[in-house]
Amino acid sequence: METVLFLARRLLQALAVVLIVTVVVFCLLHALPGGPARGILGPQATAEQIAAFNHEQGLDRSLPVQYVYYLGNLLQGDLGTSFTLNEGVSRLIEQRLPKTLVLTVLSALVGLLLAVPLGMWQAVRRNKPADYAITTLNFIAYSTPVYFLGLVLILLFTQTLRWFPSQAPQGDTVAQVLADPAALVLPVVTGAASMVAVFSRYMRSATLENLSEDYVRTARAGGARQRAILFRHVFRNSLTPVVAMLGYYVPVLFGGALVVEQLFNYPGMGLLFWSAAQSSDYPVLLGCVLVISVATVVGSLLADVVQRIVDPRVKVGRA
Amino acid sequence: MSGGILDIGHLDVTFSTETGDVPAVCDISLSVRPGETLALVGESGSGKSTVALAAMGLLPGTARTSGRVTINGTDVVNASEAELARLRGRTASMVFQEPATALDPLTRVGRQIAEVVRNHRPVSAREAAREAVELLRRVGIPDPERRASAFPFQLSGGQRQRVVIAMAIANSPDLLIADEPTTALDVTVQAEILDLLRGLAADSGTGVLLVTHNMGVVADFADRVAVMLRGEIVETGPVEDVLLRPAHEYTRRLLAAVPRLVVTEPGEVRAPVEAGTAVVELRDVTVDFGRGPRGVRALQDVSLTVGAGETVGLVGESGSGKSTAARVALGLVPPASGSVALFGTDLGRTRGRARRALLSGVGVVLQDPVASLDPRMSVAECVAEPLRVHRRGMTAAQRRARITEVLELVRLPEELMHRGPRELSGGQRQRVSLARALVLQPRLLVADEPTSALDVSVQRTVLEVIAELQAELGFACLFVSHDLAVVQEFAGRVVVMRAGRVEEQGPTMSTLLRPETDYTRRLIAAVPVPDPVLQRQRRAALGAGA
Repeated sequence: METVLFLARRLLQALAVVLIVTVVVFCLLHALPGGPARGILGPQATAEQIAAFNHEQGLDRSLPVQYVYYLGNLLQGDLGTSFTLNEGVSRLIEQRLPKTLVLTVLSALVGLLLAVPLGMWQAVRRNKPADYAITTLNFIAYSTPVYFLGLVLILLFTQTLRWFPSQAPQGDTVAQVLADPAALVLPVVTGAASMVAVFSRYMRSATLENLSEDYVRTARAGGARQRAILFRHVFRNSLTPVVAMLGYYVPVLFGGALVVEQLFNYPGMGLLFWSAAQSSDYPVLLGCVLVISVATVVGSLLADVVQRIVDPRVKVGRA
Repeated sequence: MSGGILDIGHLDVTFSTETGDVPAVCDISLSVRPGETLALVGESGSGKSTVALAAMGLLPGTARTSGRVTINGTDVVNASEAELARLRGRTASMVFQEPATALDPLTRVGRQIAEVVRNHRPVSAREAAREAVELLRRVGIPDPERRASAFPFQLSGGQRQRVVIAMAIANSPDLLIADEPTTALDVTVQAEILDLLRGLAADSGTGVLLVTHNMGVVADFADRVAVMLRGEIVETGPVEDVLLRPAHEYTRRLLAAVPRLVVTEPGEVRAPVEAGTAVVELRDVTVDFGRGPRGVRALQDVSLTVGAGETVGLVGESGSGKSTAARVALGLVPPASGSVALFGTDLGRTRGRARRALLSGVGVVLQDPVASLDPRMSVAECVAEPLRVHRRGMTAAQRRARITEVLELVRLPEELMHRGPRELSGGQRQRVSLARALVLQPRLLVADEPTSALDVSVQRTVLEVIAELQAELGFACLFVSHDLAVVQEFAGRVVVMRAGRVEEQGPTMSTLLRPETDYTRRLIAAVPVPDPVLQRQRRAALGAGA
């Protein structure tokens, strides 16, 4: 019962957040100079043609009215039609989203599976050469721009070593994409690099903090060996703050996808977003932002739920 | 000395820090024999906990140890981690001070106990779980089958400490090291835990090394006492000798500083100051924290008065509402119903500037001398702050003069003025808090456990300073404390609180010597007095009465 109430409340909050995000993005988009007409109709278009286009698309109405129309359509599941691609936005997202999800989920998984043990190991080897070495690598991974890292990886692994193809899988369905794992390696590694850097830092400090907790001393006084202390007690206690961070990391992952998809020619949400931004394709841009904000909200909701499962105290602390 | 379960010979422990080596323990020798309890007493920083940790091989990596520590003949100083792991929890085990943090928050308590069992004996998980339930029963946890699956946060402080004890006795150790095992607990709970430890030690012939600063606990529990001062043992002997006929000068001073609860004949009765008009009056105050099913009623129809110039002690166990009542008097917590009058003015009806003026007549000193001073402000700035808020017209020179004056009042040397709080000792910090409270010449001082975080000798000085200043300046004092002995010495009247209500109130001496309610009687009976002979009589009387 308590959990149901908690979920209901969180879902309502999530809905409110998504709504506010659409308002903000709607305003921001329309504050951009130029507008979509010029881009679509070409430089030769006359003022009359532009006015006609704007009228046709409802762009000459006041902003609040436009927003209400948009929201009304949204509630009916209609995200509008792309100005440039002549296709329904929902259809576009339907095609692209699964591919991006494959990429981001794989990157996140690989990132976490590397970061968590790495962080713990660093904590155990604190201030020893291994710790310093990994910290240095982390800083390099974190401070290297994603596009640069991607380019270096492409150069190294496709040109010099010729281990992997330079293009991501070109299939249209998830199954087709997954059928070509070799082609997925470089995009996933590129996406996971900064994640490893960030989350192994979190894990390292969470582990260090927990290792100095009183309960570790109690366990040690009870005859527990280092390995048992690490895996039975410290691991779970350190994981909770890391899980909490994961929810907030979703937008970063999507942001990374934008660059990775571009680099590896992988037509997902990132690429869609990129080209829509280039051509002021409002309906597509709004659709993409909506998806990202929903994903962010769902991500932090999931993180909360996982935390409630892992940490029994959370149930009492807040509802 | 040898033949003990624990033998320590010429132990030296040095901590290496960034600013150089700090010796913590110098040339300590002691031994604990089977079935015997040795109390290691001393003030903070005397190295007593370091000795306890060294005995278990639990010192941090920054510590360097030399000398001899053996447990049942096994060398601890030169043992490998694996050897130590075999020893810990089986031959020797440990109970810690802070039950709130001593248990893994994410693991059910039954599992944590079972883990200790399985660390040392090849039993099945099911068998270990059954033993865990049995151990919980032995340490007096009600409904142990169900409680075994509780998480630590679902248990009270006393129950958590019982769980820690259950872990410690899981493999019937020969040696039990208890490091301030009852310091974080209420007196009534402390009495239960001490009874439990005493019973367990007597049943199994376990030797106990008890580390404590509380002489009452020593008198209640120990057979022999070793007194530590700055890393060295200055005196060792049977408990009666050390507590009643101390040989060393330091032990004498330490014992003289311990506030003693007068429990038998009325001592020198401090005549209650003739209370003038009420400076603060709580009338039928009720306070709720939170609303709905999660809400907690912190105070229920609490009425109390502090008259001009008098000191009222507010006592009770943790959670009894004594701090909340003090906060109501400070205007920090608005009552849900009832009224608060400060200097004859209804605080609830006063707003804005008038309210600020009213509240400037109240000074406050809180428990934690570290947390209640801004670490980024110098002593002078800390003390000047109330002046900046309430005496806007003052010039910098006037302010400086007033600060100098107040620091002198609380006996702080002027040269400390520009130091940060971190560069001061605990007692000095608390005197800075006091100076800040007194700088506006308040008519009421609210002191919430002002000396609870301090060593007894420091507590003695701080209390003396407050008493002297009160005599000189004539402010009234609402003195919140869990320590009945301190209140008995310090307050003319006492208000006993329990579960948000006033249980009884009256002149301190008569209330504490002839309490009217069972609750107060139990509270007083639970306080161990630092006299082993008297304490044994009290316990016997208590046992006969029960």
